[in-house]
Amino acid sequence: MLKVTEVVGGYGSVQILNGVTMSVEPGRIVALLGGNGTGKSTMLKAISGLIQPWSGEIVFDGERIDRLRADLIVRRGLVQVTQGKEAYPAMTVEENLMLGAHIRPERAVRARGLERAFTYFPILKERRRQLTGTLSGGQLQMLCVARGLMSEPKMMLLDEPSAALAPQVVLDIFRAVARICRDGMTLLLVEQNVRMALLLADYAYVIKDGAIHIEGPAEDLIKDDAVRLSFLGGTVADVDQKLSL
Amino acid sequence: MQYFFDLVIVGLSLGMVYALVAIGISLIYSGLDVVHFAHGEIYMLGAFIGLSLYNATQWPFPVVLFGSMIITGLIGVVIERVFYRRILKSGGGYTVAGMAMVICGFGMSIILQNIAFLIWGPKAAPFPVSYGMPFEIGNVTLPAAYVWIVLAALILMTALHLFLKKTRLGLAVRAVAGNKEIAYLMGINVPLTISVIFGVACALGAAAGVLVGPINYVQVLMGIGILVKAFAAAVIGGFGSLPGAVLGGLLVGVVESLGAGYLSGSYKDIYAFIMLIIVLMVRPAGLFGVITKMKA
Repeated sequence: MLKVTEVVGGYGSVQILNGVTMSVEPGRIVALLGGNGTGKSTMLKAISGLIQPWSGEIVFDGERIDRLRADLIVRRGLVQVTQGKEAYPAMTVEENLMLGAHIRPERAVRARGLERAFTYFPILKERRRQLTGTLSGGQLQMLCVARGLMSEPKMMLLDEPSAALAPQVVLDIFRAVARICRDGMTLLLVEQNVRMALLLADYAYVIKDGAIHIEGPAEDLIKDDAVRLSFLGGTVADVDQKLSL
Repeated sequence: MQYFFDLVIVGLSLGMVYALVAIGISLIYSGLDVVHFAHGEIYMLGAFIGLSLYNATQWPFPVVLFGSMIITGLIGVVIERVFYRRILKSGGGYTVAGMAMVICGFGMSIILQNIAFLIWGPKAAPFPVSYGMPFEIGNVTLPAAYVWIVLAALILMTALHLFLKKTRLGLAVRAVAGNKEIAYLMGINVPLTISVIFGVACALGAAAGVLVGPINYVQVLMGIGILVKAFAAAVIGGFGSLPGAVLGGLLVGVVESLGAGYLSGSYKDIYAFIMLIIVLMVRPAGLFGVITKMKA
């Protein structure tokens, strides 16, 4: 569904991506893992169109998207879910959700989207008239995931949903994301929290110095010493836990 | 007492005019991250276009007002697309491009003045529309012109409010004003939305110019004074805040009018700035100034 080939890019004259190649099959959850400053956010921005890659190719749904403006990529059904802190604080929860449905003006689609958002995240229904700035960190992240769903995309890019959240809250969000994916969403998950990400994902890429360093099925990577040593800091995820998610 | 009411209603109506221009400056500031120094000339251009439209067609005043808003709004969109966008591509605000934009605004103001001078000449032209007889409420007489200005401005502000709160495009405008990068990720056509913001701001400026036409003369240099007053209004209210711009405009108008009436008319122009200084000393962010702006 998404195919990234030899992408090189960066900001200004600073090169950050040194030829990244990866792909996401329909219906799968793929994780892109890496520490700070490894290029994973830059890769995400290149896919969602916020920066243009210098060379290489990004193909989504059979068409090249690496020269498109970001809003046109959203229209093709590839939506980036922002981090929780990037919800609009001065708008109500419902207005934020409606922004997610900006490309879908049809009343029926919007009503359906709201209903879907509220089934995954019932707390948002209670808070719908509240100003977004009054939500907690976890609720903000839920709002951003729900906002991404509003346009009924074919695939979502999830930008560090675990950032700055308590482990219990992260687990709640990952559970909801797992449900969304079971209901047929394709997902590219960009994460620093390797343990959580590997529990959720089917397949994972580890990015280092702007290039893919390791890749493989999530089950294998959980056991992989190289991954463990470079990122997990000794905490190995339990494969059995994957079933409970 | 009649004298006091007269001063207040005059102040309120002029304040509404300042508020309309200040709303435009605030809108452009929140959407484009720049202070638009040619906005006074947009107001002047709007007044002249309204006048020409009226002289050519003899349409009723509200239609002329609306026509001038649309034409000036479109001119604003062209100015933004052709000139400002190239500069703003590399950023606004405190960047080098933001500085270039300030200078470009001043340049645009001189260019627009000269274009108006070439088309309409240096003479102040009267706007031959009468607002009608004064209203009488009890024993207070309200001059009709001022009442109509206040009403028309209120209608425009309500329309703007509804547009921003209730429509899909209005929501997109607020999103772009809040953070452009996130707006892109919502699938919003950001460049188009910026043009809409600029067009709406210019249309409001034109409305102010047409409304004030029948009580003041229409002339090439009318934009200079209003820019400074509207700027003061926007700063007093809190830059970027629309309710703040309205309140600031009304405060400037009333203080100026009362000052001119009770203290001295020859210092009319300084009262607004005395108030500006006082407000900035007490509340540096302006009355409604909150830092809601978020940068990725």
